[in-house]
Amino acid sequence: MNYPVWTPPILGGGMIIGIIAILHVFVSHFAIGGGLFLPVTERKAYRENNPALLEYARSHSRFFVLVVLVFGAVSGVGIWWSIALVNPEATATLIHVFVWGWAIEWVFFIVEIAAAFIYYHGWDRLDRRTHLIVGWIYFGAAWASLFVINGILTFMLTPGRWLETHSFAAAFFNPGMLPSCVARTAVAVALAGVYALVTASTVRDVALRSEVVQYAAKWLLAGTAAIPIAGLWYISTLPPAARDISMGGAPAVTIFAGLSIFFSAAVVIFTYFGPYQRPRHFNLTFAFLLAVMALSSTGVTEWVREAVRKPYIIYDYMLANGVRVDDLPRLRQEGILKSALWARHREVDPKALESTGQEIFRAQCASCHTVNGYNSVRFAVKGWRWILIDYQLSHLSEVKGFMPPFVGTEEERKALGAWLATLNPTPATVEIEPPPPGEKAQVQPAPSSGESKP
Amino acid sequence: MNPVIPAPVPIPLPAPVWLLEFLLVFTFVLHVVAMNFLAGGVMMLTLSSFLGRHDLQHREFARRAARAMPPVVAFTITLGVAPLLFLQLVYGQLFYTSSVLMAWSWLAVVFFVLLGYYGVYWFSLQQDELGARAPWVILATTVLFVFVAFIFSRNMTLMLRPQDFYPLHLRHEVGSVLGPVTAPGLARLLHFLVGAAAVAGLGVALLARTWRTEAPELAVWARAYGVKWFMAGTGVEFLVGLWFLFGLPQDIRAMFLGGDRLATALLVIAVVLAMLAMVAAKRSLAAACVAIVGTLSLMAVIRHLVRVAYLRPYFDPRTLPVQGQWFVFVLFALLLVGGLATVAWMLRAFFHPAPRAT
Repeated sequence: MNYPVWTPPILGGGMIIGIIAILHVFVSHFAIGGGLFLPVTERKAYRENNPALLEYARSHSRFFVLVVLVFGAVSGVGIWWSIALVNPEATATLIHVFVWGWAIEWVFFIVEIAAAFIYYHGWDRLDRRTHLIVGWIYFGAAWASLFVINGILTFMLTPGRWLETHSFAAAFFNPGMLPSCVARTAVAVALAGVYALVTASTVRDVALRSEVVQYAAKWLLAGTAAIPIAGLWYISTLPPAARDISMGGAPAVTIFAGLSIFFSAAVVIFTYFGPYQRPRHFNLTFAFLLAVMALSSTGVTEWVREAVRKPYIIYDYMLANGVRVDDLPRLRQEGILKSALWARHREVDPKALESTGQEIFRAQCASCHTVNGYNSVRFAVKGWRWILIDYQLSHLSEVKGFMPPFVGTEEERKALGAWLATLNPTPATVEIEPPPPGEKAQVQPAPSSGESKP
Repeated sequence: MNPVIPAPVPIPLPAPVWLLEFLLVFTFVLHVVAMNFLAGGVMMLTLSSFLGRHDLQHREFARRAARAMPPVVAFTITLGVAPLLFLQLVYGQLFYTSSVLMAWSWLAVVFFVLLGYYGVYWFSLQQDELGARAPWVILATTVLFVFVAFIFSRNMTLMLRPQDFYPLHLRHEVGSVLGPVTAPGLARLLHFLVGAAAVAGLGVALLARTWRTEAPELAVWARAYGVKWFMAGTGVEFLVGLWFLFGLPQDIRAMFLGGDRLATALLVIAVVLAMLAMVAAKRSLAAACVAIVGTLSLMAVIRHLVRVAYLRPYFDPRTLPVQGQWFVFVLFALLLVGGLATVAWMLRAFFHPAPRAT
């Protein structure tokens, strides 16, 4: 409303954020878990006087740098870019609340990147002890950056006492922060195992490959063992409505929550009976299969985490379309068009009802819905006559609990309804004639030229 | 018609504007030094890579200098995060609007940087394997980064012109704005790119010092070569700078031509420092570096003054409410000092390693 609305066709803004974010999460957690895996493996190689294992750690560090420093760093920036384009109001709010948190995270990034390069280029240059210390510095900085960004992320779903105090501490140490941090740390350890399995499967020496494959599988299993406990703890901190959405309130979200458990369980089972028990038979194809399952698990879990936050983008403070909860009474009274800075119509124009409705759609709905693509509004109202559309809009948050209420005047609602009704051919109406006594009801289609507009 | 500008976030700023603007300018200087090494570095590598097909010196130079590029890309990106953060905090309603209006190209920055970054790694790690294709790989990488510079330059210019927002919104689909390539716009882009070539030349001369033991001849050649780029780049930069200055709106240009004493003094000192850097470059690299960092810092301040002047009729961040989050700020400052000390320790350990235990 406050900003012009970018409406990328087919995918929609939300899906663009989702694709970038899921890929980033899959790599950024490896950036942390892998950062632990490297010095631990290096130390193990020194202790066991195992030069072959050391050589593996060295080659893994190259893979690590190429994946983490390039894709991880740039996709992280990509999330920031995309959220600012799709929901600038929420991004601006987060930056106002957390600018020093982000600044602190930036310091950790600097340390992290410097340490990663020095670790990678320092294998032949640094003595063992210094090289290991640099590895630990990397891990410390990487985990600290997770600690910070995790607090900002969980704030969006569980802002807790910030809603009353507006203090940084209340925002950061919100109810979901600690359990989510534990869960993400466990995911990072598990993903360190997933990625290590990929590189381990390419080791030529059979004995070393078996050893490293089994070792990597242990990382994966250890990480996933901690996830359910941390996950349940995290779920216990969710607002009740968010919990309800994931547990049957919204079937798609429930299915995805189930898929999250399914993919995670599949990863564990395949890992246990595959690389852990039969490391000799493990190969690159199997490793990629596991990685794809782990990516699927990450993807659906993050999708569920985002979905349960609906209808808010910052819980109890800002709705998914960027409208602040505090502004609802004013907007209901004044109407949304008066506050929609970029709308071409500043009030409902009865002569251009449908194009006014489209403006209202852009201002209020387009941050989640596309017209014809992902979360298509055309499909959502297919087969609905105008009167049903208007009824749904009047009770939007009651009929669909994960959607924000319609905000605006009655005229604006009718204009939006009028535009929505134009998206599909007018449905054939069905009329039921009252049957004469003793006969069945006759159902027949009515002419389609009936009511389509207010 | 009054310009359409979104309302600022109704949450107080977490520090006074002067502090946020100081951090914005300070962190921008850090970013711009790395960015100059990157943009100028890939240009130098492209030229040397093509010349290296017939010239051993250039080939060897491209091979060695390319190894330094991946960290330069990483630090350009990372150091760019902070100034963008403070920019969004203070000037968010202008920056977000211009970004959304040009959303497709702005988002493309992420993909161009990703491809360019992998291009740098590809060239750096596999120059020999790439053979005759190597110059084309680094050329494509350079083109990608120039596109990034172009889009950045467009957005940073557009955000200063809120009077254009609504007319552009009416004329174009949201996200597809890129704006006409005007002479002042081109001057701004060239000002950055030519400056980058000059600073990267100085960077190469510095880098060559680390090759003195392993490749003494190349080190001498590369130092002279880098200084040549610096001298030529800085010379051209004076002309491009003048073009840029005279392309500014009259009232803003006048600030730097005596209308505002501070602005004029800053510009004069920045130019004098650049000249001193040219004089010093052949004798003392350290002195030249100090002078050129001084020029870059002053130019960053001047850039900020230009921004403030452009926006003066529309928005003054000093009118925004402030409620300091001092405890977290002090934590940030302490961590910054600790973080930089840690980086310094690691760099020292890397460049002056202790003898390896057997």
